[in-house]
Parts: sequence; C-alpha cells; structure tokens
Amino acid sequence: MYHDADTERLGMPRIELSKLAKRYGDIEVLHGIDLAMEENEFTVLVGPSGCGKSTTLRMIAGLETVSGGEIFIDGKPVSHLEPKARDLAMVFQDYALYPHMDVARNMSFALRLQKVPQPEIDRKVRDVAEILGLTPFLNRKPAELSGGQRQRVAMGRALTRDSSTFLFDEPLSNLDAKLRGQMRAELALMSQRVQKNMIYVTHDQIEAMTLADRIVVMHGGHIQQQGTPEELFKRPANKFVAGFLGMPPMNFLDGELRQDGDALCVIGDGFRVALPEALADRCQQRNGNGVVLGVRPSDLSLDADGSADETQRFALDVVVTEYIGAQSVLICNCASQRMVVELKSDVPVGLGQRMHFKINPEGIHLFDADTDAAI
Amino acid sequence: MPNQDRQHPAFYAVLVTLVFMAVGPICLMFINSFKLDVDILSGTSGLLFMPTLQNYETALCDVLPYEPDHLEYCSLKIGGSFTNSLIISIVSTALTLVIGCMAAYALVRFRFMGRDVASMTTLAVRMLPPAVLLVPVFGLWNNEFCIDKDSFVGELIRDTFGGRGDICLAGTHSGIILVYIAMNLPFVIWILQSFIVQVPRQLEEAARMDGAGPFQVFFLVVLPLIRPGLAAAAIFAFRIAWNEYLLASALSDRDTKTVPILIVNNMSEFNIEWGVIMATGMLLAIPPIIFTLLASRQIITGMTAGAVKG
Repeated sequence: MYHDADTERLGMPRIELSKLAKRYGDIEVLHGIDLAMEENEFTVLVGPSGCGKSTTLRMIAGLETVSGGEIFIDGKPVSHLEPKARDLAMVFQDYALYPHMDVARNMSFALRLQKVPQPEIDRKVRDVAEILGLTPFLNRKPAELSGGQRQRVAMGRALTRDSSTFLFDEPLSNLDAKLRGQMRAELALMSQRVQKNMIYVTHDQIEAMTLADRIVVMHGGHIQQQGTPEELFKRPANKFVAGFLGMPPMNFLDGELRQDGDALCVIGDGFRVALPEALADRCQQRNGNGVVLGVRPSDLSLDADGSADETQRFALDVVVTEYIGAQSVLICNCASQRMVVELKSDVPVGLGQRMHFKINPEGIHLFDADTDAAI
Repeated sequence: MPNQDRQHPAFYAVLVTLVFMAVGPICLMFINSFKLDVDILSGTSGLLFMPTLQNYETALCDVLPYEPDHLEYCSLKIGGSFTNSLIISIVSTALTLVIGCMAAYALVRFRFMGRDVASMTTLAVRMLPPAVLLVPVFGLWNNEFCIDKDSFVGELIRDTFGGRGDICLAGTHSGIILVYIAMNLPFVIWILQSFIVQVPRQLEEAARMDGAGPFQVFFLVVLPLIRPGLAAAAIFAFRIAWNEYLLASALSDRDTKTVPILIVNNMSEFNIEWGVIMATGMLLAIPPIIFTLLASRQIITGMTAGAVKG
C-alpha cells in the first residue's frame, strides 16, 4: 500500500544536527555538535547555564544564525530558512504573550496570520483551551492571569498551531516549586496525548529525568552524553554527567588503583574499596593509576552490625544531618574528603559519630583522573 | 487624623503662586477677549466692563454667516488660515509619526554600522535653533527645489493652479510640512526609542515563531504596544507645528499662512488690536486642547504588563 507508506513518511519529521556550531565574534560557544532526534521523541537538552543548550534550541528555531554545520528537518537543510518556514512551535521561558491581545487572540495569532477561516480558528482555540483548562479565561488579557495560567496560554499558543515539532525553552523555570511539579506532570500527559516531536531545554535535571525519552547532557558547548534517562543515570560516560544527574549528586573520591591480594582495589585517604569483577577486568591495565571513585548517596546503606567486608564499606564521620522527611541526607567526612549519604530518617544519628556504610557493588563508578571519562 | 495630612501653609502659598502663574495669563486673555480695546487700555476698569463679542466677530468675520455692523471690511481670513494650520499640523504630525516610529525601531533593534552615531546625531539636530535654519531653508525652498515653469509638469501645475514664475516649495503647504517634519523627527525618534526598548524582544521572537514577517511583527506586535509613546509624540509634534511662527512666517505666502501669523498681522505701525489678538488667541488654543485630550486617552501605563515574567 503506497498510501500507507506515504502517510508514515509524512508523519513526524526527524530533526538532525550536523556539526552545528555557533560563534560570537571570536568566541565559539557551540563546538560542532551532532544530534539526531527520532520521530515523536521527547528530547531534553540539559546542562548548567552557559552550556549552549538554549543557543542550540534557538538555532533550531531559526532565531539565531548558524555559524557552522547544518540543521536538517526531515532530511532537508533549513539553516537558511526563516522561522516561519520551519513549521516549529515554541514555548518561551518568559511566556512572551502578546499583552494587548486576550487569551483567545493570543492562541489564534499564528492561525490568523495563516489566514485560516474564522470558524476553524474558533474550533481549534476551543479545543486547546479545553485541554489546558483555559476555557474560562479566553477573554482575559495576560496581565489578568497568574503565572501558571500564563504558562498554559503560552503552551496553548503552540498547541493550536498543529506544528510537527514543539520547542520548549525552560518553560517552567519561572514557576514556584509546587506549580512547577504540577505543570511538569501536565506536560508529560500532554506530550503523551499529542504525540509530537518535543525538544525541551532545561537546567533542571529532575525535569530532564522525568520528561525525557532521550536526554542530551551538554557542557561547555559540547554534548557530554545522550541516551535514555536510565542509561545516563546508570552508565554515565564521564564525571560531569555522573555529577550532574541525580539528587543529591554523586560522591567523588580521589584514589589509586592497586592490586590488593587477589582483588583490584581503589585505595584512597580513609578508604579501600574492592572493585567488582567486571569493572576489575576493565582496569587491569591501569594498575597503579590515579582514578576517581564515584558512588551515589543512594548506593550506600547503613551497615549497622559491621558484617560487611572491610573492602565493601566506608567508615564515615557524620558532620551534618539534613532532615528532609522520610529520608535524611548525611554529610560526612571520609578522612579528608567529603561524602554525602542518604539514609532512612528513623535511624538515630549523632553528630561526630563514626558510622559504617555498605556499598552496593553495582553502584561503583570509576573515572579516569586525567580525562574524567568513565572506565 | 486629617490634621496629619495638612501641609505647611507655605506649601499652599507656593501652589497658589504656581497656579496663578499658569492660569493667570490665560484668564487675562479670556477676559480681555471680551473687552473693547478702550477698556483693555484704560487699565482702570479691571473686572468691571461691558462684555462684548465684537472681537470674536472681527476675528471670525470671514466665516460668519452675517456681516458684523462694526466692520467696514473683513481683513482677517481666519477660515483659510485655520484650514492651513490644520492641514499643516495634522499632515506633518502623521508623517513624523510614521517615519519616526520606523526609524526608532531600526535604531533600537537592528545592528548596523554607525547606529550609535545616527542615534546621537538625531538628538544633536534637535539642539539647533530653528532660526539658524531659516535663511538656508528660505533660499533652498525659493531657488533650488523648484520645477521649471516651462517643463511639462510645471506647465500642468501652472495651468491648474494659476500663478506666475517657477513652481517652488516656498509658499506651499508641502514646504512648511517638510520643515516641520525635519524639526520634530529627532525628538519623536528619541521618545519612541525609549518606548520600543521596553518591548520585550521575546515578544518579537514569539511572533516570528508564529509565522509573522518583519512588517507583521512591527505592525501587529510592536506598534500596538508603543501606543502611549505614539500618543505622547503626537501631542508634542502637533503642538510644535500648530504654534510655530518663525519658519511659517518666512515660508508661507498669502494663501498658506497659518493662524499664528494671522494674529501678528493685527499689529501694525499705528495700532495694535489687542481685543482681536486675544480673541484669535482663544480660538487658536482650542484645537491643541481637543487634540491633547483625545491623544492623552491613549497614554496608559503598563501596556506591556503580563507579556513576560516581570
């Protein structure tokens, strides 16, 4: 059936970045990144501020010129096209609603520019307002809305357009914490319902983890790693990704690889940890090298009776306890280095107390001390 | 409680003085416009006089449906001058705004070589006193910007409107309008720049993402948001054009003279008709008042409220 094949091909376009670079004068802020986004994928670009994620999004949108490389939408190069020729809808960080138009006119602005017949505009605006719960506010001006409502209007404006791809530029960062959580859930629901390509920029790793089909971690104008949230969390490609994803962040301890009896160990100030076999096999060549040991706070568990082997545990001095409800975060000293541990709150902890924590062998990460790459 | 709000008596004294300084001359003009010249000059009668409409009759003699008894000949053509003033002020204001808002937008948003210089120069031009312009503009308008009477276009205009000599900018509405535009543009650009700067750039980007071209962005998004600025600039430009005397006196001819010039025509070597001057002055004040009232309704603050996170 040719027809079916055609509609399939005409579905959602693939977006591809090839050696995409951005320079401001002599300063290169984006160093030729390569990225391919599949159909209907929810891609999240995440990284600290200044990492180039917003610039990347704005280049895809057509709001910034491309200094090098090319953007392909459905195989066609688009970097020379005006934003309106790219068929993308964008939600801005600061909402960017037209203050002189009411909600309905804000949402229908694009359709009116396209000279869509009025009845159809009305129908679309009504449908989208229904989805977003904006029906009672259609005749209000943006100034008369709360932050969350404005954010919804901004999304509604993108939704009415029927674009193939949605771009989000930190859409939730202006909302307070509670509303942000709520909108995040709504967004996840919406993305399931509309089934479009979504490219989402955020600096918030929780947003990235919860929303993404694919996370792209960026830092310093480079892509550090991309993959599913689980891949990135369980197998970070380098120290930056490991430290960026996960809350509280991963502990890093400087140490050295050394053969100790029949086990390969990481030995550092105040600890000696035996590597699990798979990891040890990969490290045979590095015996004697400096490494960084990474352990997530959640991969440490209290070893109350001291049953664990000495090479499977840390002895830590508690410095600060942060009570956050069911869990407490303990900030501890491992000799001269800092470590953070997550613990059930019902365990009594005294400040300055020495405690033993068992390591989940699955949760041991090793990074090269010089290159920061994962081993 | 009310005692706490009471100000020092000196405060009220200052207020009264300021109000008197502002309103006094207007009251004087208003009262004197209803007096005969004899009463005005006698200086003794003060507020005790017999009000008369005679001055207004003289001032409006060419538009009144009847002929006033006290006049032998109607020398003041206020109807024509009024029309001239209106045409010149409104057209020059409109053109100044159209050119001004586009220029201001370009100066604010576009990056081009010499942008800052251009921005500064517009203000520098404003510092030039109009009197300096008078002689060169008079010369240019009379001698340079002319269409030869023997040329095809010149002949056509001559045949239609009559007259002798070459067709020059001097003495035409367009000549005066052009000068007023040049005079008002710098300030209008300057005012509008500060309004355009306040329009969040993200709004324009959002409009571009919504599929708007550059002109649609400007007319559908930016222009509605700087309406207060346009109104303020319009009031300013209109009043300058309406009140201007010096350039109009040199560049207008009998058919294109504006009301301020007409007023001065009431002074002669032998006689100053104070009553008529006052009456014409009152009439002159009406259009700017109406215009200002209409335009100031557009001056609402907080036009961009709710656009972006503030």
